[in-house]
Amino acid sequence: MSHLRSQQLSQSQKLMVFILSMSLFGIANIITEITPEFVLGPVELSVSYFAFVPLTMVFLFSPLHAALGAPLGEIIFADLLMGDFGGLGELEGFIEFGMGMYVAGLLVKDPTNKKQLALGALIGVGIDQMLSTIVDVGKVWFGIEELEAVPGVAESILVLEGISFTTEMLISGVLFGLIPTLWLVPKLYGKIEPLMGFEPRNPATFRSSAEVINVKFIIPAVFLGFVAMIAEFMATLDVNFAVWEPEFIDQFGMQFLWVGVSAAAIVLLVAIIGIVKLKNSQNPQDKSKGA
Amino acid sequence: MNTLISVKDLSFKYPGGTENILNRVNVEINKKDFTAVIGSNGSGKTTLCKAFNGLIPHFYVGDIKGEVIVDGLNTREHSVSELSKKTAYVYQDFENQLVRPTVFDEVTFAPLSFGMKDFKERGQLALEMLDLTSIKDEFIWQLSGGQKHLVALASVLSLDPEAIIIDEPVAQLDPVNAKKIYEKLKLLNEAYGKTIIVIEHHTEFIGEYCKKVIMMDKGQVVWQKPTKDALNNVGELIEKDIFPPQVTQAIHRLYQNNILLPITLSEGIDFLKNHPVSIAQQPYPEKVKKLPTPIVSLEGVTHGYKTLNRGMNYVFTDLDLSLYEGDRVAIVGSNGAGKSTLLKMITGIIKPKHGNVFVCGENAGNTPPEKLSEKVTYIYQNPEEMFIEDSIRKDIEYFLKVRDVPDTEQFFSKLVERFHLKEIENKDGRLLSGGQQRRSSMAIGLGMRPQVILLDEPTASLDISSRKEMLLMLEQLKDSVKTVVVATHDMQLVAEWANRVIVMDQGEIVKDGSSHDIFSDVALLEKASIQAPQIIKLGQALNLNPVPLSVDAFVSCLVAESGEEKLEIY
Amino acid sequence: MKSIKDLLSKITVENIKIELMRTAYGNKDTFMGKLDPRVAIVWYLIFAIIPWLFWNNTILLGFLLYMVVLLSISRVSPLIIILLAFGLVTEAGYIIFVSVMFGGDLTAAMALLTFTLKLTIISLASIAVFASMDPEKFSDALMSFRLPGQVCFGISYGYRMLPILIEEYNNIFNSFRLRGKVPEDRGVIHWKRVVYYCKTAVFAFYPMMLNTAKRTRTTVEALEVKGFTYSLKHEEVRKLKLSYLRVQPRDIYFFIFTIFLIITVIYIGHLYPIEREIHPL
Repeated sequence: MSHLRSQQLSQSQKLMVFILSMSLFGIANIITEITPEFVLGPVELSVSYFAFVPLTMVFLFSPLHAALGAPLGEIIFADLLMGDFGGLGELEGFIEFGMGMYVAGLLVKDPTNKKQLALGALIGVGIDQMLSTIVDVGKVWFGIEELEAVPGVAESILVLEGISFTTEMLISGVLFGLIPTLWLVPKLYGKIEPLMGFEPRNPATFRSSAEVINVKFIIPAVFLGFVAMIAEFMATLDVNFAVWEPEFIDQFGMQFLWVGVSAAAIVLLVAIIGIVKLKNSQNPQDKSKGA
Repeated sequence: MNTLISVKDLSFKYPGGTENILNRVNVEINKKDFTAVIGSNGSGKTTLCKAFNGLIPHFYVGDIKGEVIVDGLNTREHSVSELSKKTAYVYQDFENQLVRPTVFDEVTFAPLSFGMKDFKERGQLALEMLDLTSIKDEFIWQLSGGQKHLVALASVLSLDPEAIIIDEPVAQLDPVNAKKIYEKLKLLNEAYGKTIIVIEHHTEFIGEYCKKVIMMDKGQVVWQKPTKDALNNVGELIEKDIFPPQVTQAIHRLYQNNILLPITLSEGIDFLKNHPVSIAQQPYPEKVKKLPTPIVSLEGVTHGYKTLNRGMNYVFTDLDLSLYEGDRVAIVGSNGAGKSTLLKMITGIIKPKHGNVFVCGENAGNTPPEKLSEKVTYIYQNPEEMFIEDSIRKDIEYFLKVRDVPDTEQFFSKLVERFHLKEIENKDGRLLSGGQQRRSSMAIGLGMRPQVILLDEPTASLDISSRKEMLLMLEQLKDSVKTVVVATHDMQLVAEWANRVIVMDQGEIVKDGSSHDIFSDVALLEKASIQAPQIIKLGQALNLNPVPLSVDAFVSCLVAESGEEKLEIY
Repeated sequence: MKSIKDLLSKITVENIKIELMRTAYGNKDTFMGKLDPRVAIVWYLIFAIIPWLFWNNTILLGFLLYMVVLLSISRVSPLIIILLAFGLVTEAGYIIFVSVMFGGDLTAAMALLTFTLKLTIISLASIAVFASMDPEKFSDALMSFRLPGQVCFGISYGYRMLPILIEEYNNIFNSFRLRGKVPEDRGVIHWKRVVYYCKTAVFAFYPMMLNTAKRTRTTVEALEVKGFTYSLKHEEVRKLKLSYLRVQPRDIYFFIFTIFLIITVIYIGHLYPIEREIHPL
């Protein structure tokens, strides 16, 4: 019998993963809620979530159930039960974050491979952040009548979103996402699964090929959406860029603007490299598995 | 047909396991039985009981042979849902079994989930059977441990099962609540005709309540006997690390010949009435002299928690207490008396609202716990909360390593050896057995080289042999530590180990004295809801003064009048 | 850093329990709390969408007024409303500030005011409904909207487990503190301490995850025995569970009143519009 058979989780095992992910990320959110923030004008340095918690879950267990459980945990524990429920806004967060984590989990084939983990972590948080940028920008776009007629607002939104995207990627994505995940996953792998009564994940486990193919669509779709959104927005700026008088502000503003865009570009690049690598590394293993 | 559960040639292996946990088990349990399943850790007790309600083989998909028939249903062919209407299960960690916010939601959850139209009536009935209607609308998180256990029982009772399985009810509860649970089980058994199966190693409860005993060892049923016969096998039980009731032990040691030994307190008292003994009076133990400077002192400490309407709920008001070198303090009192808060205050984790706490000359009120921990160590009730590293060895080393203390290798190796952790030093604490976890947590504590050591319920949920081991470790602590403080419900531990007992009731120290002082004060015991150990009650019934605190002491002050030599066999 | 220590000490079980009790016992007997949860959610959805459809400030102000009145009869603490408004206004302030750097003018401020008004109405609507809704009822309402059973169960499960999990985390965190070492040298603005506490908060998740995994297993086993899976598969169980939910006349009156009010506000808005002047490009 092949040891690498694709493991089918029973209904109750799925429920276990779901509840575990929900509880842990719920608690994590209550903790981040009370961590201090440093606010320098529009720049806010704060830990908005402990991304490593759901990342660890999706890397170790069934990505779908862990990815669904985590944002639900946030909504239930930190918002609903603490009397701070945001209605439809929570749904946005649920979809953005859930999708990010799901994709992250599917990108990882072998939880002992640090490169895959790092890539998964960055793309996971990246997707969440990009989607939320798209939604934020979209809201302003839709909420302000004839936005292009109001000088300055579009640029302003882009700059602020760019700053927030960059700080989020740095703090939530790297400091509280990537780094702790790389430390935790190898420590838990092979240890937490027996406590819950199932076998550790192997390359064939928990990811159906259909899911993996979907990922290859989701990632470019999100990036394209993100880039398209910014490009569209930039288009409305053309007129206004010319109006800028003092040159230093001009340069300063441009730099700010490009921070967001270049961050996106970097993540995109990394993602492409990663997918290509994944594809390459997948083939030989597939062959050995076939035996 | 009178058989409820019949097990035929049952063997079971967990997925990925190498050995059979159950090995050709054959056993029958009749309707309306009250059966105890005993055996040492790893003997297969819990696994067998999970086979009764279908969790094996439906939830744990392992290799299974043989069959289990419950009330005519073969567990292999019927689903867990069907079987759960026949047998109900109350877990050892029952807290995790309660899944709904309020009591009434919890007790109606199961019948509702099975779509029973009368789910409300069923929940109500279960509450009435266990006398819980007064807490019907409470939130689970407001309940005490004892109440939660009863609710867990009620929530499975609502399906009106034939049999109820309870996994170590006494392990997580204090003796008063444990007795309450057993009284309810007795009621369910006698008045409602339920079959009760308990996994238990507290033989005093078995003697008092159970009708039959199943002894398991290495995945097999060794025997199944009526309780009286079972507990009379003193030699065999002790060999399997199961200690018969103190009364039985004492009488067994006084009368070696083949008499039928008493197994409950009242039987013991009757027995001694018919078998007169002469009393060789023992002198009072010497009181410990207090040294002038206390190591820990609390001066006028007041502490409380905020309540919903922003008021304060005081745990202590104006509490004074001094602990000295050489003190072996036991703090006793019911849940919520403030024991854990007191201990945490000495560690600096909880800061007093008013008053001062001094620990080895440092003011705990303004010293961070990281600093105080160089003097005081706190051992958690749940050892799993102390395992912060991925191996026992690393956990033991953590404290000195982060402080860059040089030349510690030898010290650590000695500790590991002393606590018999050599084979498991590279394992994660969570994967160990209860006894190993306790040993590890003690070693972690001593790895900090403290002067004062604080232990929260060190003997809770230990089987008897691990408990003995624990007692020995506590005994040895005096060589390395100045003061030891234990917060506990385990009165046998108090009686046998402490030289100073502090009784707390609702945040007040109601008595501070020796074990003799405490256990001879019947009114106090009542007030603080303390159950004295059986042997002390037996001594009191015989009017022994001072009352012997342990079986050893009891035996040594009595001489059987029949003239037989008493033998030391333990 | 003193403030961090204070903050961390706030994650006590007691404080969380108090928060939970507020949610649990909070404003259940208020007007909004007594509505059928499904009606309340539909009401919320209307006000979560409708502000996006109007740029007419009169209409938006009308809705805002309605929200304020509703909130005041729902006994929501004014502090919450002030904090919320403050947050939204500062956010708009930043956007205005930055847009002025890009050559914007007061039209930007006006445009943003309209935008902020929309966000405020939506937020207030969510406070009006959810601050006084019993989580259990909320979960049942979601179930009647046919959300997956796991989600609905999650809400009441969280309700139940939160204090236990927080206590566990707290104990583990303290376990680290009881054996750890605070950096003596605090660094500029205590950054070394900040790093120490942050690291500890992260490290504490290693034991936390393992312990919670163990806990979850018992829970799921118990759920299995209590027929949770069975209930997900059987439609009649869902009906039985939700049978207590009934739309009362008061729900209908409230709903009709709301529709009437929305129409009136829109009508008045069209008669007396306060609109931003749109400069041609």
